[in-house]
Amino acid sequence: MDWKRTREPAGAWHMTDDLHAEQGKGDPFAAAIRATRMSMIITDPRRPDNPIVFANDAFLRLTGYERHEVIGKSCRFLQGPKTDKSAIAQIRDAISGEADLSVDILNYRKDGSTFWNALYISPVSNDKGELQFFFASQLDVSDRKRSEHRITADKDRFEKAVKERTAELEAALEAQTTLLHEVDHRVKNNLQMISSLILMQSRTASDDNLKRSLSTMLERIEALSTVHRRLYQSKDVSKFDVSDFARDLISDLLTASGRSEISPTLDLEPIVIPAEKATPVALMVNELVTNALKHAFKEKPDGTRSGRIGIKMSQPDGHLNIEVSDDGVGMADANGDASFGMRLIKSLARQLRADIEWRDAGPGTRVVISMPNGPQQKGNQS
Amino acid sequence: MIGPLKVLIVEDEALLAMELESLVEDAGHSVVGWATSLAEAKDMVDSTRADIAFVDIHLTDGPTGVDVAEYIGDRKNSMVVFMTANPKRIPDHFAGAIGVIAKPYTMNGFTSALRYLQEGVRRPPPTSERPAGFTLSPAFETVWAPAT
Ligand SMILES: Nc1ncnc2c1ncn2[C@@H]1O[C@H](COP(=O)(O)OP(=O)(O)O)[C@@H](O)[C@H]1O
Ligand SMILES: [Mg+2]
Repeated sequence: MDWKRTREPAGAWHMTDDLHAEQGKGDPFAAAIRATRMSMIITDPRRPDNPIVFANDAFLRLTGYERHEVIGKSCRFLQGPKTDKSAIAQIRDAISGEADLSVDILNYRKDGSTFWNALYISPVSNDKGELQFFFASQLDVSDRKRSEHRITADKDRFEKAVKERTAELEAALEAQTTLLHEVDHRVKNNLQMISSLILMQSRTASDDNLKRSLSTMLERIEALSTVHRRLYQSKDVSKFDVSDFARDLISDLLTASGRSEISPTLDLEPIVIPAEKATPVALMVNELVTNALKHAFKEKPDGTRSGRIGIKMSQPDGHLNIEVSDDGVGMADANGDASFGMRLIKSLARQLRADIEWRDAGPGTRVVISMPNGPQQKGNQS
Repeated sequence: MIGPLKVLIVEDEALLAMELESLVEDAGHSVVGWATSLAEAKDMVDSTRADIAFVDIHLTDGPTGVDVAEYIGDRKNSMVVFMTANPKRIPDHFAGAIGVIAKPYTMNGFTSALRYLQEGVRRPPPTSERPAGFTLSPAFETVWAPAT
């Protein structure tokens, strides 16, 4: 319905209730408006206070008033204390500006109850463009408003709940992180204490065999310490860079121990393994490197025990390959399988599902390890 | 030969202090004192002369190792190296310290750190390789290990 552009002769609207109610009776157009279920009124802005000059039955049903109570009155009686002031201002502006307007406004019935009114106001002018009336229709949209309110309230409640839950989770994470740091701190300190105990004990040992045993034990503990230090230095404690570990190990075992006559060859791709594999891999590499240092190089006439030691790490698809090699005496007369070091290496290999092989490198020994390492584990140099 | 170092140990764990003392002496240096708290460390700093202090962050009276470093730094009578299992506790400016030896360190790791520090204190910058587990503070990084 496009009421806005209505250009009825002014007289048509004079067939209204307060004027000549009977005159409109034969007019099907007026009859339709009287009978429609849509609440409608017409006001006369040319009279003081823009009073209602026509109201259909639907309007009376909606508002609860009798016709004689509304005709001649300003629509103001529909407003009440909770009516939005800005909606009222919009209506005022539309009337004074002779503009049409669509607005949702809280109105009051005669009995004081309220309803949401989707109000539509439109000015009606005559042929000369002079303002004659305002036409207004009212639609009770209380149900829609209620569900709008419910949705807004639900949304607010939901957002609040999400915020609360987020805060809880953040606090829990914070507590977990603190705990992790605390545990990490203790583990590191304890590893340091264990090393200290072994070191101090070996200093007082007079027996050379015992000294050697303790020093082998210290090396193993220190390999674990290095794993732990490296693991918790990185941002992601679930990943472990074996190549970095190998570098630390070699620098620790060679450069620092003063065995400068042994030259290391490192060929290390950055390789990341899951943290749970870090310890067995590190222990295995430690055993192989210390074995080469201890057993491969025989004393020369000048008293030195020089030679080359090599560590190579690569990851062809889905596998981690580690090679520890030396150019020493080889393992032909190794007294092998019963010794603890060898058993440890083989057991760790089994744990890691690794294939391990000792090859004659002529001269020296090349130990080749190959184990599955998920294809998703990409090297990471950070 | 460059001169040996006089070392102050600030460490609340007796066993670790004992071990450090042995390692320091094995390397030909001497230990001038052992403190376990901020107060003890202050007394010792005021009454002895050390070339370098190894300072744990967590002492008997709490995380006061940084305060020890600041106290030493104010008096400028010794250099400081932190030794801690929790390097994240060290402030970004390192309270003037040279760097940090992360625990758990290895025997060789500590010994080579000593050699490196001896060079750095006596004849800076150090020439030997920086040991694994030793991190320089940003300030010393620019002086001792400028990017080439
Ligand atoms: N790289 C190597 N070169 C020469 N011999 C080796 C090498 N690795 C191991 N061996 C020999 O294998 C033996 C067993 O090694 P291991 O089980 O680690 O015992 P341990 O190191 O305690 O002697 C060693 O005693 C040594 O004779
Ligand atoms: Mg062995």
